[in-house]
Amino acid sequence: MKVIICGAGQVGWQIARHLSGERNDVTVVDSNPDLVRRATESLDVQGLTGFASYPDVLEAAGAADAEMIIAATYSDEVNMVVCQIAHSVFGVPRKIARLRALSYLNAIYSDLYRRDHLPIDVVISPEREVAEAALQRLSAPATFDTESFLEDRVRLMGIVLDENCPVLATPLRQLSDLFSTLRTIVVGVRREGVLFAPEPGDQLFANDQIYLVTPTEDINRTLEVFGKISKKQNRIIIIGGGNVGLAVAKRLEQRTDRVRVKMIERDRATAERAADALERTIVLNGDGLDMELLTEANIERADAVLTVTDDDKVNLLAAVRAKSAGSAMTIALLNDPSLVPLLGPLDIDAYINPRATTVSSILRHVRHGRVRGVYSLGDAEAEVIEAQVLSTMPMAGKEIRDIDFPEGVLVGSVARGDKILKPTGGLRVLEGDVLVIFSLAADVPEVERLFQVSIDFF
Amino acid sequence: MRAVLRLPLIVLLSGIGAAAMLVPAAVALAVEDFATARPFFYGAILFLTLTALVGLATARYQPQNGARSHLLALVATFTVLPIMLAVPFAEAVPNTRFLNAYFEMVSSLTTTGATIFEATRLPLAIHIWRALVGWMGGFLIWITAFAILAPMTLGGFEVTSAQEAGTGAMRRDVRDDIDPTARLLRYTVRLFPVYLGLTVILWFLLVLAGDPPAIAAIHGMSTIATSGITSLPRFAESPGGSGGELLIFFFFIFALTRRSFLGGFSAPMWGVLASDRELRLAALLILGLPLILFLRHFFGAFDVDETHDSQALPALWGAIFTVASFLTTTGFESQYWSTARDWSGLGTPGLLLAGMAVMGGGVATTAGGVKLLRVYALYKHGLREMDRLVHPSSVGGQGQMARRMRREGASIAWVFFMIFALSIAVVMTGLAAAGLGFEDAVILSVSALSTTGPVALIAGGEPISYAALPDAAKLIIAAAMVLGRLETLAIIALLNPDFWRS
Repeated sequence: MKVIICGAGQVGWQIARHLSGERNDVTVVDSNPDLVRRATESLDVQGLTGFASYPDVLEAAGAADAEMIIAATYSDEVNMVVCQIAHSVFGVPRKIARLRALSYLNAIYSDLYRRDHLPIDVVISPEREVAEAALQRLSAPATFDTESFLEDRVRLMGIVLDENCPVLATPLRQLSDLFSTLRTIVVGVRREGVLFAPEPGDQLFANDQIYLVTPTEDINRTLEVFGKISKKQNRIIIIGGGNVGLAVAKRLEQRTDRVRVKMIERDRATAERAADALERTIVLNGDGLDMELLTEANIERADAVLTVTDDDKVNLLAAVRAKSAGSAMTIALLNDPSLVPLLGPLDIDAYINPRATTVSSILRHVRHGRVRGVYSLGDAEAEVIEAQVLSTMPMAGKEIRDIDFPEGVLVGSVARGDKILKPTGGLRVLEGDVLVIFSLAADVPEVERLFQVSIDFF
Repeated sequence: MRAVLRLPLIVLLSGIGAAAMLVPAAVALAVEDFATARPFFYGAILFLTLTALVGLATARYQPQNGARSHLLALVATFTVLPIMLAVPFAEAVPNTRFLNAYFEMVSSLTTTGATIFEATRLPLAIHIWRALVGWMGGFLIWITAFAILAPMTLGGFEVTSAQEAGTGAMRRDVRDDIDPTARLLRYTVRLFPVYLGLTVILWFLLVLAGDPPAIAAIHGMSTIATSGITSLPRFAESPGGSGGELLIFFFFIFALTRRSFLGGFSAPMWGVLASDRELRLAALLILGLPLILFLRHFFGAFDVDETHDSQALPALWGAIFTVASFLTTTGFESQYWSTARDWSGLGTPGLLLAGMAVMGGGVATTAGGVKLLRVYALYKHGLREMDRLVHPSSVGGQGQMARRMRREGASIAWVFFMIFALSIAVVMTGLAAAGLGFEDAVILSVSALSTTGPVALIAGGEPISYAALPDAAKLIIAAAMVLGRLETLAIIALLNPDFWRS
C-alpha cells in the first residue's frame, strides 16, 4: 500500500516506522530537511522536503496513486488543507488527520468532516487520546498499562508481580483450572526485558511484568488473584495544565463520584485558561517541582499524581518528588519511550506515551480487513489487535487449537454478540465473532494475513 | 431643530425645565387653584424667554472638549438649575424662604425626595411639580450614565472597564469617535419612550389598584425615578394598599439592573436577567434580609405571646417591600413595615435600611448609593481572597472579565467605597459643625449621599425633621445630594489636571 505521511515529527516518524516495517510504500513529507533525513536514514521510507499542503509537493510525493494520506504536521490547519487537496486534486481514498484544537473536535461540528465539506475520514486527537489513556491508568491504579477493547467490555492490563502475589510459580494451565469461572488470559510476559507469549506450562515469577486480557466485570477479581488491591481515588493532583491536563481534569469533573482535583501549572496564562474552563478544580500557579507548592496542593494525602507537562524530564522528576512526598501513586507522561526503563528505579507507577496512543489510534485505521482496534505494547514490542471474523476467512468455523496462529500469538478474548467468552482450545470461532489477539511485533503481518478476507469476498 | 440640538446641554436642560412648569400650571388650572397656576405659568413664560435669549447667544458655542463640557453641564444642572426650578415653587408656596424651595428642588432633581414641607401644607400641583422634577432628574441620570459617564468609564462602568476610571473619553483616538451630543441624543431617543411608557403603565396599574389618579401619577413617577416623593404624609397611607405595593415592587427591577430596560419593550430576555450579577445580588438581599428579620422572631423572641401569629405574613411582606424600596434608594415604606417592626418585639431594624440605601441599586439606573456592581466586585474579591488563604498560589477562574473585576474592578470599587465612606464622614462633620447631634448627622449624611431622603424618617428611633434643620445644614445636605447623585468619582475626574489640558 502506498502511504504518504505529512509531518515527520514524533507521531509521523513513529507511524512511518510501523508502516514501513509492514512492507508498505511510505513517503514522508516535511518542511524540515533534518527531520526528513532522520526518517529516511533510519527507516525504509522515501523522504521529501517541502510544505505538505502545496499540491506540487504532494504530487511529487506520489499523491496521484497513493492509497492513504496521514496528515500529522504540527498545524491543524495545514493538516486540514492537506486532506482537502489530497481529496480534491488527487482523489486519495483514505485521509487521516491529526487535529489538536478542541474546537475542531467538538461533536457539534462533526458534520464538518463529511466528504462534501472537509473530507477527513478519521480525525485523530493526541490530547484526547492521551487524556483517555490517563483516565484509564487512574481507574486501574495497580496497573502500569491499560487499554480497553470491544467498547470497553474487555480491558488489557499490564501489572507487575511482586513477592506477595499468591499465584507465583504455578503453571498457567493450573491457574485456569483453579479459577475456572475467571475469563482472564495472561497474553504476554516480560521477564528481564524480553516480552514473550506464554505457553500453558509456563510459570510466573516475582518482578515479571504481565499483560492480561480480562472482561471489564472481572477486573477487580483478577487483580485480587494477582495480589493487587484496588483503592478508590479521591484526591488527584495534575501537574501541567496544558491541553492534556485540562482534558483529564474536565473528564474527572464530569465523574459522578466527586473526585477532588488540583492542578499545578507554571505558566500564568495557561493556568488562567485552565481555571476558566474548570469549575471545581483548584488551579495553582507555580512550579510543579516546588515543594512549597506541592505542600499547598496537599501532596502527602494525594491518592494519585499525574505529571503531564510537555517536558519528559520534568514529568519524571515531579513524579519522583511527589512519590517521595507521600503520594500513593504517580503517573508520568513520557514522550520518549527510551525513558520507560527508568520508571522502575524511579518508583513511578505508570506512564502514558502520547505517541503510542496516537500511533495506536492511527494504526487502527490503517490495517486491512476487519481490524478494529490496535494497541502497541511497550516500545512497539507487541500489539494487541481487535478483529472481526468474517465468513470468508479461513479461520471461520475452526476450533482455536486448529487455527494456524504463529508462536508469538495468543487469543485473549472472544466476543460473541453480547457475551464475552473465554478462549479455550476447544472453542469454535464463528462468523461475526470479534477476537482480541496478542501478537509479538514480528508476527503481526502473519496475523494480518489471517484476517484478510479471501478473494471470493468481492 | 438641528440648531436647537446643538445648543449647550445646560441651555437645553433649562429650556426643558422651563417648559415642564406648564404641567403643574395645567394641573392647578384643572383643580381651579389659580394661585398656584399663576406662578408656574409665568415662570414658564419668563424662563422660556430667558432660555431662548441665552440660546441665541450661545448658538455658535463650540466646546473644546465635549465630554468635559457635558460633565460640567451635569454638575451645573444639579446645582444651578434648581435655582430656576425653585422660583415658581417659592412663589406658589406661601410663607417660605427661597432657600427652602431651593433645597426642595435639589432634593427632587437628585431623586433624593427629602422634603421640608408637610404634605398637607402643599397644594396638589406643587406635589406634581416635585414628582415631575424628580422624574426628569431620574431620566437625566439614565441617559447621562450611558452617554456621558460610560464613555468616560465613570458611574460604575469603571468596575468592568479595561480603562482607567475617568480617562476613557480623554484618549485622543477615542475622543474623536465619540461625540457626546450625538450619544446623548441617541440614548434619549432610545430610552425616553421606555421611561415614559413604564411610568404610564405603572400609573395606569396603580389607578386600577385603587389609587386616585393624581397620587398614582406621583407614585408612578417616584418609583421609576426612585425619588420616593409622595403627596401623602407617608407612603404607607396610600389608598392602593398592598396591591399597589406589589405593583411598585415589580417596577423596582428597573432600578436594580440596567439590563431590565436597555432592551426597550422588546421581549425581555429572562436568561440574561436571571444571570445578571446585580439582579442576583439584589434578589439575595431582598429575600435574604427579610427572612433573617423574620426568623429572628422565632429565635430571639420565642417567649412573646402567640397572638401575633396572624401577622406573620404581612410582617414578612412589609420587610421585603421596604428592603427592596430602600435598596433601590426609593424609600417607600410599606404599610406593613410597622407590623414587621413591632411583630417580633425586638426593636427597630431601621438602621438596616440605611445600610441598604448605602448599597444602592444597579449601575446606570436611577438608584444612588455605592451601586450593586461595586458591592458585587468587592464580594467576589473577598471570596477570592478567602480561597487564597487556603491556596495562596491558586488561580481564579470564570473568565477574563471576572478576573479583571476581582482585581482592578474590586480595587476601583474599593476606592469608590472609601471615598463614599469619607464623604459620609466629611458631611457628618459639616452637619455636626452646623449644630446637629451625632446620630442625626450620621443618618442625614447617609440619606443625602445615597439619595434616599426617607431614610431620615425611618432609620433612627425618631423621625428627623428636615424643616427643623439650620440653614447651613440644609446647604450641606443639598451639596451632599449632588455629590451622591453624580458620584464622587465624576467630581474627582473633573478635578483631574489632565482633564483640563486640551
